[in-house]
Formats: sequence, C-alpha cells, structure tokens
Amino acid sequence: MTIRWTIGLILFLFSGTLLINACSKKDGQSAQPKPLSLRKPGGFPAPQYDFASNPLTEEGFELGRKLFYEGKLSKDGNFPCASCHQQSAAFAHIDHDLSHGFNNQFTTRNAPPLFNLAWMKEMHWDGGIKHIEVQPLAPLTAPNEMAEEVNSVLAKLQADPNYPKLFKAAFGDETITSQRLLFALTQFMGSIVSADSKYDKVKRGEASFTVEEQAGYQLFQAKCASCHAEPLFTDLSYRNTGIPVKPALMDMGRMRITGLKQDSLKFKVPSLRNVIPSAPYGHDGRFATVKNVLDHYSDGVQNGPTTDPLVKNRIALSNVDKFYLTQFLYTLTDSVLLKDKRLAAPQ
Amino acid sequence: MKPNRIILGLTLALLALSSCKKDYSAEDLVLPPVVQDHNLVIRFLPTVGLDTMELGKEYKNYFDEPFSVTKFKFYLHSIEMINTDSSRSFVTSKDKYFLVDFEDTTTTVIKLAILPYKYNRLRFVIGVDSIRNVSGAQTGALDPAKGMFWTWNTGYIMAKLEGNSAASPAGGKFEYHIGGFSGPDKVLRSPTLLFPFNQFLDLKAGKTSEITVTANAGAWFYNPHDVTITTSPVCTTPGLLARQIADNYSKMFTVISVVNQ
Repeated sequence: MTIRWTIGLILFLFSGTLLINACSKKDGQSAQPKPLSLRKPGGFPAPQYDFASNPLTEEGFELGRKLFYEGKLSKDGNFPCASCHQQSAAFAHIDHDLSHGFNNQFTTRNAPPLFNLAWMKEMHWDGGIKHIEVQPLAPLTAPNEMAEEVNSVLAKLQADPNYPKLFKAAFGDETITSQRLLFALTQFMGSIVSADSKYDKVKRGEASFTVEEQAGYQLFQAKCASCHAEPLFTDLSYRNTGIPVKPALMDMGRMRITGLKQDSLKFKVPSLRNVIPSAPYGHDGRFATVKNVLDHYSDGVQNGPTTDPLVKNRIALSNVDKFYLTQFLYTLTDSVLLKDKRLAAPQ
Repeated sequence: MKPNRIILGLTLALLALSSCKKDYSAEDLVLPPVVQDHNLVIRFLPTVGLDTMELGKEYKNYFDEPFSVTKFKFYLHSIEMINTDSSRSFVTSKDKYFLVDFEDTTTTVIKLAILPYKYNRLRFVIGVDSIRNVSGAQTGALDPAKGMFWTWNTGYIMAKLEGNSAASPAGGKFEYHIGGFSGPDKVLRSPTLLFPFNQFLDLKAGKTSEITVTANAGAWFYNPHDVTITTSPVCTTPGLLARQIADNYSKMFTVISVVNQ
C-alpha cells in the first residue's frame, strides 16, 4: 500500500515538475534580457538620465556597443560613431581639430570625448541636444558626418542576418524601430562612466598625489574649479572664454540654439576628465596642447560683450603654475576606461 | 487502486503538458464585447483657396507668386469637441498624436471615439507639446524617422510646407519648417473651428459621424502676417518668422461638412 501511494505521489510530483518545466521552457524561449545597473560613483550627483524608461540590460548594452562600431549607420558605410569617437582618446577623435565625414567633408566642431553622459543635461558644444536618447540622430543625419536617414539605417539593419536576432534579445522581438536603435545606443554610451583616474583613487584613499600633482590640484581649485567643477569637472554651463571667432566657421555657439544675443560665442564648459588623451581642445579644436589652452587663459583671452567675467581679466598663471596644473591634469586620465574591453569594438 | 493512481498521475502529467502548449490564458478566451473603436471620422483635404490642392501642381498665392507644394504635413493633438450652448466638451488624450501628411492618404483620415453628444465646435492643438520635445526617443506619429524632428536643436517640426516657386531666390524652392516649443518661440496654436450652417455634430450611440476639414496651403502666406516667397523663401529655425507663419496657418482650417449617420 505504501509503495502504491509512493508511486502515486511520485507521479503526482512528476506531473507538477512537468508543469513547471513546460512553462519555464516556454519562458526560456523568449528569455528576459539580463538587467544591468548604471554605475553611480560615490560623490557624483544624481544622474540626469537614469534609464527608467529604457531599462539597462546586458543585451541592450551589447547591441548598443555593436551599433556604435557599425558602419551601416552611415551612408557609405565608412563612418560608424567610433570613427570620430575612439576609445583610446576617451571617445574623442585622436589628433583631429575637426573630424571628417561623408564625401571628404569636414565637421564644424571638435568631436567631444564621451563619458559620464548620463550626468549631462544637454549634449553638443552648444547644448542643442536636449535629451541623450536623441543625440545619435544629429551625427547620423548630418550631411557632412554620417549623412544617412533614419529609415534607411533601419532597413539596412532589418535586412542584416544578425541584427533582428540581437534586437529580439534586447527588446523582445525582431522589429527594429528608431526608438530601439536609439535606446540601445543610449545604453552603451550612457554606460561609459569615467571614475577611475588617479584623482578618483586619491579621493577614495587608494592613492596619493605627488608633490607636483598636489600643488597643481591646489592651483586648479583656486583658478579653474569654478567652471570645471568637481567631480564632473564641468558645471555644465555655457561660457565665452574669450576665444575669437574663426571667420571661416563663424560659429556663434549657443546663440544659434537660443537666438539670444547674450549667448553669442558661448560654448559648453567641457569636462577636464581625460583631458590629456582627448587633445586637441576648444570647440573647433584650435588648441593642440594643454599648454596652448593655459597660454590662452593667461595671455590670449580676447574680450567682447559676452566674455565671461571669470576670464575677462585673464588668469594669472606663471610657467611654474602651468607645469603644476599640467601635472594635476594628468591625474584625470582614466586608464581603466581607455582600456576597458567591454567598451572596445565587439569581436 | 494502483492503476487508478497511475492513471491519475499520467492524466495530470498530460494536463500539465497540454495546458502549457497553448499560448492563451483563460482570460484571453473571453471574447471582447462588440464595440465600435470609433464614432467620429475627421477627413482633412488640402486646398489652395477654393481649389483642391494636388501635390506638384502650380497655384498662385495671395501675392500672385506661383508655387507648387511637394510636402505638406502637420501635427495635431488634444482634439476637442465642444458644445457652446451647454459649455460641455470632450477632449481626446493629449498624449495621442496625429501627423497629417498629404503625401500619405492613410494619415489624412483620423478616427476617434468621442462621448456621444451634440457638439458645434471643433478645436485642436497644432504641434507637439513642449514636454514631448524633450522626452527622448518617441514612437508612433512622433517617431523621429517621420522627418519632423530637428536633430541639431532637438525638437519637433510642428508643421511643414515645402515646394517650388519661380518667385524664390533660394534656388527656386521654398521651405517652411515651423517649430519652437518653449518661451517666446512657442508655435503651438489651437484654432477653434465653427461648423457650417450652424450645424451640430450629433453623435449617437452605435452611429458614426463624419467631419470634413480643409487645410488651405495658401493661408500660410498671409493673414495676419504677410509672408512672401520672394522675401522669405526659407524658415527652418524657431523665431519671429516661424511664429508669424504659425499665426497664419492656424487660420488655414475650415470645416466644410458635418454628416451625422
């Protein structure tokens, strides 16, 4: 009797297991993407973009990474995002004042490095891009950059043997929409966080500055930090730093966006994180070296109606000051970011 | 007893297998009640003055400038039916956007579910609400792939009229991309339209009514502001000219018929 009951019980449990297995197998076929969370380094403010409406996942990030390095996003296939945003330059363009795009055309501004974008309120030198998700549309559709159209990119990706599967893995089905394309790119770019420089390690008590770096840090705090505010090393404001307009470009900066005279020649304060590997500098890349930039602030500022009061009288910097400051700026290089295999071109 | 239990076990196992094979839960098997998904159809017809507009055909504007249209599209939302006698009104969701594009006839007929009642005014907002301009990647009518999104100074083009004109000093083309969603640049407009012959839209349960609205491309050039192709062939940034053109096109709509079933 006991045996019979046992057999019955085993069969009963077996059927229950089948029930669970059968159902979990079904779930397994449309596997949920693996959730990731944005790294929020200690001391950083709350991010501007928290992935609430675009849940960060392993599959979404990997898709975004593949897309970032994908030539199909450009008209002739030659200009992926990564052509002007190279990892070894903290995703700026190595040794290029201006970049070049479709049909041998120059861009009109220096390609900025890409990191800590989730903390940026607006993108571009003039802040014209008001949301990180729509940022990729600018280079993608600019006739002198990737020169493509959104629908054409979507058609190319949909016809690709791999992308429909990758979109399914990230978003649940194989449909490729502009929103999914932008969500995936945002997952990759928004996840690039720079917080492992020597400076960060010093702040975390894992390293200490040399005497020269420490002297540079003190100078930095006294003379630079009101605009290049820690820990992002930018206050995200727009300022005219007394860089005269180049007649060939006639770039009026933020005024083009706001239409306000008081915004003439103002550009976004760039972060100084990874400043050394992301040369050249300035909105049009006119400063080849850090020394050129420091010389500008000590001797080159040209005043106009909108020149920032903080630089109007130039910044008193001796050659020794400039040496110390440069030593400090080297500590802002995040070599972990520059070599992170997860951010490199996928195999 | 033993065979019974085995049978019971096997039955349960089979049940387990079969119950998971199907793709629908019990709730899905309940048939939806038969309801209309809409009871009002609004048709938009492009015109120039009193003529029906054909894309590519030449017309004259108020200033006698010849022009032909290649693109004519605009966003609408918050469509509202109003009864001015009882002051009652019904407004569609402000998050439901329509892009009327005269190149694509599937977009020129809008189907809505409106509370059955008598109405004598139609109102809607032309453009995209400010918050949707800064909310990232959107879908549906607001998909940036629709070509109505500025990528260099992000925000929606609320309305677009493009074409050719011998009067244009800009390579024989004219191009009005009207946008601006904040502060003084705001170009959202919400015209209230009367119905002809003091007619009422009389929505009855289970019946569908139809409203036909003309959109006069010629209205973009005058009243209250004079905009000539000769002096202003291009408007592709927010600002004064964009606001003036928005004032003009907010008067381009006329309800020409209301048909109650």
